[in-house]
Amino acid sequence: MEITFWGVRGSYPVPGRETVRYGGQTSCVEVRAASGTSLVIDAGTGLRALGQKLARDARGVAGVHHILLSHVHWDHIQGLPFFEPAYVPGTRIHVYALLTAADELQQVIGGITRHEFFPMPLSAVPAEFEFHEVEPGAVMTFGEIKVLPIALNHPFGAVGYRLDADGTSVAYVADTAPFTEVLHKQHFLSGLEPLTDDDRQALERMHAELVAAIRGVDTVIYDTHFLPEEYARFPHYGHSTPEHALDLVAGNGVRRLILYHHAPSHTDDQMDEIAARYRAIGAARGVDVVTACEGMVLTVGVRGAAA
Amino acid sequence: MKLRFWGVRGSFAMCGTDFLRYGGNTPSIELVSKAGARLLVDLGTGATEYGKQLMSGEFGHGTGALPVLLSHTHLDHIQGLPFFTPFFIKGNRIRILGADPVGSTLEQTLQNQLAPHYSPLNGLENLAAGVTIEAFVPGGALQVDGFEVTTAAVPHGNMWTTGFRIAADGKVVTILSDVEYPEPDWPTPEALTLATGADLLVHDAMHDDDAYALARGWGHSPVAAGVHLAEAAGAGRLALFHHSPDATDDQIDALVARARAGSKVTLFAAAEGEYLDV
Repeated sequence: MEITFWGVRGSYPVPGRETVRYGGQTSCVEVRAASGTSLVIDAGTGLRALGQKLARDARGVAGVHHILLSHVHWDHIQGLPFFEPAYVPGTRIHVYALLTAADELQQVIGGITRHEFFPMPLSAVPAEFEFHEVEPGAVMTFGEIKVLPIALNHPFGAVGYRLDADGTSVAYVADTAPFTEVLHKQHFLSGLEPLTDDDRQALERMHAELVAAIRGVDTVIYDTHFLPEEYARFPHYGHSTPEHALDLVAGNGVRRLILYHHAPSHTDDQMDEIAARYRAIGAARGVDVVTACEGMVLTVGVRGAAA
Repeated sequence: MKLRFWGVRGSFAMCGTDFLRYGGNTPSIELVSKAGARLLVDLGTGATEYGKQLMSGEFGHGTGALPVLLSHTHLDHIQGLPFFTPFFIKGNRIRILGADPVGSTLEQTLQNQLAPHYSPLNGLENLAAGVTIEAFVPGGALQVDGFEVTTAAVPHGNMWTTGFRIAADGKVVTILSDVEYPEPDWPTPEALTLATGADLLVHDAMHDDDAYALARGWGHSPVAAGVHLAEAAGAGRLALFHHSPDATDDQIDALVARARAGSKVTLFAAAEGEYLDV
């Protein structure tokens, strides 16, 4: 499998001189199996450039695209109206997402192109959209790629995905808070709230299921938005640190950890420091830690093949 | 009056080395009067940077006040709202003034933007600052401390946006951000009235004049539309604005050179960064 990072930033796109090396566009990853079957994970602003590439490669021929969403916060869906294949007649775009409320997915995702927000509604673009509900634990199959959705701890719910193909595996774990201090539900948090016994049990269960799901995975892409000192100020924001990620993957048979969903305030120079620091910390714990940058292409399951 | 462009890019925020000189952030324009009154037009991604600057002053202490005018609620003009830090400090007073979109209200539209599916903020009521949402009908004046603001509806594809004429210190800035006239050579009378005698006209220039034929009806202007309006209105200077997300710095340079060769109007391409004297 090959993974291409089209957007690695969290929260909102960050143009400018201080993000040219790691990239400023928000969450979007393309996974391609050896046979050519490909999936897109998350439709942040990085999706625009991916769509341009797909449209160039397709030369106007309609295709079928599968987009797995971790959740529908803006930084994970904002690229969808700018996905060039959506404007090619005959194209089919399947969108997979967690159903977190009574609303239909079509309403929620279609809602980002209501006329107040965007000139062209998704329902009017030439491509056909189909929306599919994702259920944590229920495996989906796309050609030779098997996909296991994993429940995560994020406001209003999110899912990660484990993908198995070509005798190897990759997991996408974003967005998520750690599983100790806060249980994210469907209400606004202005800070930490006391946990009930039920909350603690729910967190332990979610944590155990995630640990089991990523056991032995070659490469884990993880929401490491915060540094520890930033997390301490915003533990209720729904994001993790590289330490949280390392605690889950070290000793769990994971070869490589990808730091992902970088805070918009982290400049390239800070990212260099973060990359070096956690590369060393990871090495001491037996994990190859790589910091994602936009445009990075990684081969999964082949040692030393990182581009 | 001083003006600073915090975001000049249309439609989509662009990152990378091709977009460094003009900037990749979506629309947000700050105006400051001699007496220190401030006004922001639009909340594109550029507003997030502006918000950080404000936090070093009274907004960091919860004593800031700011009026924000919205040209319309397409995402590239409001996507900075959830990340505008002064909203999160109790005591700040922020007015958001804009027209109601057709079939909805300004307040409902911004609520939808912050709906729990899309944003952990979960609604305007969770912004700690005192935020008022004030809908107006374009065509009249707005009460904004330190500025005289006149508005008008201008055509934008199958809808319309609000154009602004903003005066302070005896100077006038006209902002027509997302606009396409039925004929590019013929600005609508409302646009002409807003721009007449302006010291600075900020105008939609999304399309290269040659490329415009393919984009006609999509709601944005060719460079020539702003040039014609500046000539007809006797504007002092023209700032080409709302650059195409595909236009690199070098392409914008070329676009400016062509426009200068074809007109006597003093013109430049809006760029993020410096404060300009109006």
